[in-house]
Amino acid sequence: MSLIKKVTILIVFLFTSQLALAKSSALVDTNWLAKNINNPKVSIIEVSVKPGVYERGHIQGAVNFKWHTDLVDTVSRDIISKDKLQNLLRKSGVNQDSTIVLYGDKNNWFAAWGAWVFDIYGIQNVKLLDGGRKKWEEEKRPLTPLATTVKAGNIELTKTNLGLRARLSDVVAVAKKESNIALVDIRSADEYQGKIFAPAGVPELSVRAGHIPGAVNISWGKAVNKDGTIKSADELKKIYAAAGIDGSKPIITYCRIGERSSHSWFVLKKVLGYDARNYDGSWTEYGNSVGNPIVNLAGTVWGKI
Amino acid sequence: MPPFFYDKKTKMKLKSNTLSVKNFFGIILVLFISVLISDKVQNQSEVFYLSLWLGISFGIVLQRSRFCFYCLSRDFIEKRNAKGLLGIITSLVVGTLGYHIVFGAFLIEPIFPQLPPNAHISPVSFVLILGSFSFGFGMAIAGSCISAQLFRLGEGLVSSLFAFVGIIIGFILAFRIWNYFYLNIIYDAPVVWFPHHFGYTGSVVLQLTLMSVFAILLFKFHKKQKKEEISFWWKIKWPTYVGGILVGIIGMVAFFRITPLGVTAEIGNISRNTAEYFNIMPLRLEGFDTLRGCITVVKNVFWTNNGLFIFGLVLGSFAAAVFSEDFKIQIPSVHEVKNSFIGGLFMGFGSMIALGCTVGNLLSGIMAASLSGWIFLIFCALGLYLGWIIKNKIRAN
Repeated sequence: MSLIKKVTILIVFLFTSQLALAKSSALVDTNWLAKNINNPKVSIIEVSVKPGVYERGHIQGAVNFKWHTDLVDTVSRDIISKDKLQNLLRKSGVNQDSTIVLYGDKNNWFAAWGAWVFDIYGIQNVKLLDGGRKKWEEEKRPLTPLATTVKAGNIELTKTNLGLRARLSDVVAVAKKESNIALVDIRSADEYQGKIFAPAGVPELSVRAGHIPGAVNISWGKAVNKDGTIKSADELKKIYAAAGIDGSKPIITYCRIGERSSHSWFVLKKVLGYDARNYDGSWTEYGNSVGNPIVNLAGTVWGKI
Repeated sequence: MPPFFYDKKTKMKLKSNTLSVKNFFGIILVLFISVLISDKVQNQSEVFYLSLWLGISFGIVLQRSRFCFYCLSRDFIEKRNAKGLLGIITSLVVGTLGYHIVFGAFLIEPIFPQLPPNAHISPVSFVLILGSFSFGFGMAIAGSCISAQLFRLGEGLVSSLFAFVGIIIGFILAFRIWNYFYLNIIYDAPVVWFPHHFGYTGSVVLQLTLMSVFAILLFKFHKKQKKEEISFWWKIKWPTYVGGILVGIIGMVAFFRITPLGVTAEIGNISRNTAEYFNIMPLRLEGFDTLRGCITVVKNVFWTNNGLFIFGLVLGSFAAAVFSEDFKIQIPSVHEVKNSFIGGLFMGFGSMIALGCTVGNLLSGIMAASLSGWIFLIFCALGLYLGWIIKNKIRAN
């Protein structure tokens, strides 16, 4: 074997093994972020929902996006408009060639929502911090309370890919067996079965309990390790395949308001590369919709005493 | 002991200038308890341990400097001694500066409608006026406000317990009427945060000007007081302005790390759980979660930041009282029990609808440059004065 051949094989081997080591190019680990914290090409965005969490201590250089007002359009119950998001990102110093790292509290649920919205608007190089804020804190990494000042960025949003978003009609078609899409309900088993209308401590926003006919239940938590990091692609494939989700059919994920399902959407689409969409209307829309069937294994009826 | 504490002018012959072991009993107890519960409270994300220790510090400062809003006001009304009230103003000056420093870190520019997280900036309405007045009236009848009831409980004042029964019932009465107040009055009420209108610099200038006006008035009415007797150094009360400086610093640290100072959040929790037990809690408190104030209503009792803060407050006061030989179990008369209970009712009702008491509203509200804090100060003072007059009339009869 010639030297060139040997070197080539070595390089190919190193390259592929590196790829295998990294779970997914859509995730960065805490070490990577710690090393790139001062990298001007990296924009860090925190999406936490507990008030005061960002202000009292965030990763150095991170800007704060408020899910309730920054990433949704509260008037039309929609995702934020392209223009508004572009303004927000520019104000946050994001450039066309920036790598965006999202992280947040509550297991990255709302950060994943951000990643989903960013994907709809065709933003490149969006990463999720694996394990989110919790892992960063548990590793006792530094946080700062100082507000971040940035120079305005120049990012331009041109595309809108609504194909990543499922609407009520899409899931009704599945419920009526008129569509070949696999539905994944990522809520808890109790919510799926209809024993409860909403998780403990969360307002009951739907008058029916249960799930959309045809949906399988794979709770979002099955996709993460104890430390909150996302499991390896091999493990994930097995978990989803066990419930019949193997990527051979397009997938729609849903939950209560679409935030936990963004997390599962991220796992299916960005880590496993499956054709996945998120149904952000989720159970608060479907469960309340008129004339559409549900499956309620527990038989609970709202308001019945 | 350092000679600093020795006052030559008194020519007092101190028999002994040393403390006995029993003075340290409270401190040992505090350390023991804090170690005992450390496993349960050492939780990174909830900063429980810090809450406990801030509570202990607050309790020590309140006890040692007698930082009791009613007692200090009464000193002024009855003896024209303004030193106490000037001490409260000192805490507001220090707290205002501290808060504005933290504001700059949290929010670079105070652009409407952004507000700093958790700061006690509540709506200004007739309900706030009514609540403040009721609170002031209640604290005059009961003999001290909620925070002072807590630190005096640590000093062994048994009547505090009856005040708390009244406070909890007052809270529940307020819960019952809350939805009416919210939908008809509070809903439309403005939330006024000075930095929105004047910027951070303007806000500091305005606050300090208002405080100076109050201070000048107090100085004008102040009469020279008789010198206090000097006793053993550990028994000497700290001047109120020293307490004020420390309260201002504790207030800033609490805001910076956890949430602004307040003593009613945990009482709100206990009241809610009590009301639910008796099935008299409204199904919902409208708009409650959208407002900024000192009252929160969650299911958890005790293992919350505020629960540990209050527990720490009583503990700290107990340790300080034992150390300075102020601790004495005081069994109240029937009359005192009645007053504590009735005063407690007014205080509980008032602080719930005003979304905070003298600590959560007056201290944390004014430090946060919120108009609601100033409104509370004014109407609480009026209520207190009325309560004082009525109490004296009853006593005279």
